[in-house]
Formats: sequence, structure tokens, C-alpha cells
Amino acid sequence: MNVVTRGIKNAVRSPLKSGAIVLMFAISIALILSMLVARGSVLAKIEEVKATAGTAITIQPAGVMGNMGGGDPLTTTQIASITSTPNVSSIISTLTDQLGTDDTNLTSSLELGSFGQRQQRFETPDTTATPTDSEATARPAPTPRTSVTGTTDVNSIATDGGDLTISSGETIDGTSGDAVALVGSDLAAKNSLAIGSTFTAYGETITVKGIYTTGNAFQDSGIIMPITTLQTLTDQAGAVSSVTATINSSDNVAAAVTALETSLGDNADITSQAESAATSVESLQGIAGLTTTGVIAAAGAGALIIVLSMFLVVRERRREIGVIKAIGGSNRKVITQFIVEGLTITVIGAVIGLVLGVLVSGPMTTSLVTSSASSSSTSEAAGGPGGRGMGGPGGAFNQGAAQLDTNLTQVTASLTPQIFTLAVGITLLIALLGSAIPAWLTARIRPAEVLRTE
Amino acid sequence: MVTIENVSKTFSTPSGQVQALKDVSLTVKTGEFVSIIGKSGSGKSTLLSILGALDNPSTGSIIVDDMQINKLSGAKQTQYRANKIGFVFQQYNLVPNLTALENVMLALEFGGYPSNSRFDRATQLLESVGIEEDQRQRRPTRLSGGQQQRVSIARALANRPAYILADEPTGNLDSATGKKIFDLLHDLSRSQQTTIIVVTHDLEIAGKTDKTFTLKDGKITTV
Repeated sequence: MNVVTRGIKNAVRSPLKSGAIVLMFAISIALILSMLVARGSVLAKIEEVKATAGTAITIQPAGVMGNMGGGDPLTTTQIASITSTPNVSSIISTLTDQLGTDDTNLTSSLELGSFGQRQQRFETPDTTATPTDSEATARPAPTPRTSVTGTTDVNSIATDGGDLTISSGETIDGTSGDAVALVGSDLAAKNSLAIGSTFTAYGETITVKGIYTTGNAFQDSGIIMPITTLQTLTDQAGAVSSVTATINSSDNVAAAVTALETSLGDNADITSQAESAATSVESLQGIAGLTTTGVIAAAGAGALIIVLSMFLVVRERRREIGVIKAIGGSNRKVITQFIVEGLTITVIGAVIGLVLGVLVSGPMTTSLVTSSASSSSTSEAAGGPGGRGMGGPGGAFNQGAAQLDTNLTQVTASLTPQIFTLAVGITLLIALLGSAIPAWLTARIRPAEVLRTE
Repeated sequence: MVTIENVSKTFSTPSGQVQALKDVSLTVKTGEFVSIIGKSGSGKSTLLSILGALDNPSTGSIIVDDMQINKLSGAKQTQYRANKIGFVFQQYNLVPNLTALENVMLALEFGGYPSNSRFDRATQLLESVGIEEDQRQRRPTRLSGGQQQRVSIARALANRPAYILADEPTGNLDSATGKKIFDLLHDLSRSQQTTIIVVTHDLEIAGKTDKTFTLKDGKITTV
């Protein structure tokens, strides 16, 4: 039996005591691991949010928000100016319009409701009627409309920040000029449209290439076309109602906004998602700070458990240490034996703790981030103008905000090799120091003193 | 040979300084069986601890085989204990979670005995002190006092020490068992020329040794 075997054997000489130490240590290890996983996931998500949502800038004609407001669409020259702005890596252009009953043979799948009726209460009276006719002053009966979005990138319509979900058929090329369309699932169902079906819009026949679904009732009642097609059909060559510019780095967003404000002047409203992203990640940063504190506290507790336990173990075995030294055992042998004993307890506790940690870290991280995202959403809903409540059809900024929310709630707990190595390293360090220090303190006492006093 | 010259030892206690040994000098020749007697608190165990380098004297010197052990470093003193000294304690002081065999093998490990022959050597030693085969795998708590002391003696003999220091080796045993243990030590001193220094308050035992030193209030009074 060598010093290692002796140390391992000593670790289990009192199963009840060792079991209690192992359990306490396992809990602290599980906490360390959970906090590290949560921290890693949250920091990764912060970076992701900053890298994606934080680099988008929305440019709309001054006074326009979705299909509301007024003003002139952005021109080809302005689009060229946006594209050539330093640090702008790509742009998505969008033109939105609404199809009334005169414009299309489709029946809207949206019910007008009191909200829609109120939106249409300022419709122009029938100018063909004579002024004396009592019906002439009456406004036409409001009818629900079908929104149509022309875009260079159909995926920009997706509400979750990812690719648009095509439930049947295929997607379309947003940069083409073909008379093709993607139809929302609700609209397709209402009008019994299938792949290859045609419908009339602005007097032209449009072929359905695909049916998409977003889970959003408004979006799923619309039509998506290549922007050039919509510009041609609506006789608005080159007109764009919204541009989403992606900046090459979150660090350059502020500079790009300034450059765009200079080049476009008062003709455009420029909104950066950077501020929104900063607000959104604030709560995540709070969680990251909390988890760091949690790691330190759990590591401290784990270290304290091992150190105090080993102090007690060494204290009650002072006489044994004295005997070992009396019969020729060196300080190194004594310390090594207790380190092995401490490591054995620690490794058993760590293995149990790691298993526990892996089991609880996922739900813990999800719980932390979900509650954070909930509070974030609540504060946004109570916020001022510019919130998603203002979003009109095809509002790119609103989609960005939706993506932000989705990202926030999609943090998945991941145990990377780095986190695992860090957790194991902390554990072993605690075990080494926790067992070596009390053993060293006792081993340096003269054997006669220990044997006399014990 | 052991030479103790003018050794004094003072302890600091909460109630003040206590002088356990006062200017003690004595000589023990190689192969002698020596006893140190005296009342409780006379300094017998302290003297034995200093002889075994478990403690250092406050003043004076201890020379063992031309080596002043109280001047050695802690590591050298450990080496000295492992190779030259075998301890037998009144309380036996066996490691509780090791078997009788493992307790003897532990001393062999510290003495640098080759690992592949420790088992055989320990078995032989236990056999020589009368520990039966089925008792060798028992932990100390499952052995009688006499058996534990036999294991303790086997452990003390493990590295063929030149000196065996026994502190009240029969103090916790009944008279019959005590006599057997004493006879065992006596036989060893005769058969292996091992120098044995026994601390005891049993005058009958002391009377059977080659030489007896009497300690009173920390001083050698008679030889």
C-alpha cells in the first residue's frame, strides 16, 4: 500500500462524514458549473445581439412609417448614396403598397374590424356624385385591403429574424422583375390559391410561386413580390419606402448614422437598432454580472467546504500524523496522503456536481434569460413612440425588434470545453489548497507535541 | 552508543514555564537493555522523546553513534527515526484504518524498504511476535491490547533499528500479557543486539534490565 492508496482508502474510512462533504461540495460544483454555463451563454448572446441587431439601420422617407404618414419615397439617387456610405456592407430595399378591391381580384383575409374602419375614416368622397346629392357626401363603405411588399430580400419579411418559412412552393428572387409573388398562408387559404395559381393585381396577372407563413396574422394576409415588379406595377420606378442597411461592425454604427444623416438631410428618418439593442442587452449584462458573482460565491463556498472539512479531518487525526512522523514518515508523505484524500473526496464530489450541473444549467440559463426577456418586453411595451405598436405593414425596424426579442429568449445553455476545463481547474485547485494547507500546518508541528497533547 | 550530555527541557504552559528535564546526562552502550524509572511527571517520556528526535532539548546535546541528533534538520531527524529508531508506545499508536499487516508495511515504506518485499517482511515480523495469520488482516480495534502491542513491536522492528525506545510498553496490559511483551523485548535485545531503552514505573520490569536510571523531578538521581 503506497501513499496514494492510503489516501484514497482514508477518504472513505468514514462513509457518512465523507458522504456529507461530497454532497455539499457537489452542490457547490453544480452551482459553479451552472453559473459558468449561464455566463457563457449570456455573453455569447450579448455578442450575437450586438453583432446582428445592433448593426442594422433603418432609413425611411421623412414622415413615413409603414403605410402611414406622408412624403416622397426614397429615390434611386438616395439609395445609391446609402449604398456608398462608408461601412454599409449591404442594404435591403422595400416598397409597400395596399391592394384595394379595385386593384385585385383577391379577397383580403383580414377582417376590417373597428380599428381598420377608423383607419379608413378619412377616405376621399366619391367625386363623381353631385354636391347636392345627399349620398355624395357619404364616404364609401370601408373594405379591408391586402398589403403587398416589394423587397430585394424576401427573408426580411420573416418576423423571427431568420429565413422566411415557405410552407409550399419555392421562394422568389427579390431582385428580378418577374410577375411572381409569394402569398401569405391566410390569404392563400381565403382565396384558394395554390402553387401556380394566378391572381390579378394592378391589372396584371401574377403567378403564385410559393406560400409563406410567419405566424403573424397581418403578414400572413399579405403578398410579397420582387421590388422591381411592384415598382413597375405601381408606376413608381426606383421608389423605395424603406431601406435596412447593415453596418460592417457594431463599432461603426454611430459613424454610419452620422454619415447618412449628412447625406440624406431632412429627407429621411434614420433609426438605428444600436440603442434598442443596448437596452435589450442591459438586462443580459446584468445577468452576466450576477453569474460572475455566483461563480465566485459558489467557488468560495466550495473552497470553504473543502478547507474546513479537511481542517476538521486533519485536526481529529493529529495523533495519527504524529505517529506517522514518529515512525519515519516525512512531511511530504503526510501532506501527499492528505492531498490524495482531499482530491479523492473532491473528485467524487466534482463528478456528482458536474452531472448535477449539466442537468440544471440548461433550465437555469433558460429561466434566467426568459425572465429577463419578459421584463425587457414589458418595459418596451410601455415605452414611447417608436415601439412596435407603430409598425405598419413591412416595417423593417419592427421586424428587427421582433428578432431581438426572439434572440433574447433563444439563449441555449452550452457547456463548452473551455467552461468545462475552467470548472475542473477551479475544482482541483480548491482540493489541492484545501487539503495541503491544513496538512502542512499540522505536519510541521513536532511529533512529540502532537503525541503529548492528543 | 547513546550519550546524553547536560540536557534540559523547558515547556511553556499557560501557567508558566515548566522544566521537565534538568541537566540530565547518561550513557547507554550498544546492545544494552536499559530502563528509566520514575514517578509520573518526572520527565521519563520527555527524555525518551528527545532520544528519539521527536522533540529537541532546550539545552544540551544527544549524541547517537557519533551523530548529534538535536542539531539535525527536521528532514534528517525524520530519516534518523525511520532508519535507526523503533518506537513502542503505551497507547500502541497503530494507524486505526490500516490492518495489522499494513501498519507494519507502513513503517517499511518509510524506511525505504523495497515495495515488492514489504509484504513478506511484514508477515515474517508479525509471525515472530506471535500474531496469527487471521489476525494480520484485522484492524487495531479488532485486536486485544496485547495483540496491538505485539503489532506495535513488529512495526518498531521493521527497519532493523539499532535502538528501540519503549514508553510504558506494558502500562496498558495485564500482568501476564505485560510479562510476555517484556520477554519479547528482552529476547530481541539478546538475539539481535538491539539497544532497548524502556520507560516504566514497574520496578519488577526495571529489575530485569541491564541498567536502570531513576528520574526525579527531571533529574537523574540513581543509576
